[in-house]
Amino acid sequence: MPRRPNSSRQTRALLASFLDHSGTWRHGYDLSKETGLRSGTLYPLLMRLSEQGLLEARWQEAERPGLPPRHAYRLTAAGLVLAREQALEAITAERAGVLA
Amino acid sequence: MTSATRARLLAVMLARHAARAMPGAGSPWAEAMRREIDHIADDAEAVRWALGCVLASYRARLLQRPTVSARTAWRQIAASGALMLVIGLALLDNAGGQTPPPKPAFDEKPAFDETACDLAPPPAVCRLPCADRLPVERQIAPDDPNRDAPCSSKSKMP
Repeated sequence: MPRRPNSSRQTRALLASFLDHSGTWRHGYDLSKETGLRSGTLYPLLMRLSEQGLLEARWQEAERPGLPPRHAYRLTAAGLVLAREQALEAITAERAGVLA
Repeated sequence: MTSATRARLLAVMLARHAARAMPGAGSPWAEAMRREIDHIADDAEAVRWALGCVLASYRARLLQRPTVSARTAWRQIAASGALMLVIGLALLDNAGGQTPPPKPAFDEKPAFDETACDLAPPPAVCRLPCADRLPVERQIAPDDPNRDAPCSSKSKMP
């Protein structure tokens, strides 16, 4: 049976992290610290979500002077829908596991 | 140069390499990975981050390789098989005859001569014909004058 797209543990963790701060622009290093994903895993995921139209990216001026602008990311409307669906599925599965 | 500075330098170099290795170098993603290094305060963490970026670039590069259709793949397999068959048949034709042993060089003494025997000649034996008994083999000394005489003319030995 083929696996559903964007259903890997890493992708779900990333989407959950975005959902927790929905509407906020996030940076790669912060996302890595929060999700525990290394850059080698994180960036391919970000690129894939962006290609699928689930994520938008933009350059943001650094908070501290002298530092280069950073790439920032946040979920699009479609990305938010997917993140909410996955969060709901996770809660349902957790409840089913508790009841079983 | 302190080890912290060296680590930072290494991280920057790795991040630059990752940005170059990324397909479509100069793309926002390559730049994003490279610039994020400057926002990581810890040097060791920056090196780990840069290594991950290199890995991500290589992965992206591998995924960007042109895909081969099933038809093309089958064609290549068939062509390879036909080529191997032709090579095999050619080798079979050439390997049909016996290969002669290598000839020694002109002034080289052969390791051994198959036609000559370097063992001592076997001692001459005389078989005495006895009608009612089994033949008895007797050894004859090399200086015996009757050595080459027929057995019937020899004196009976004790």
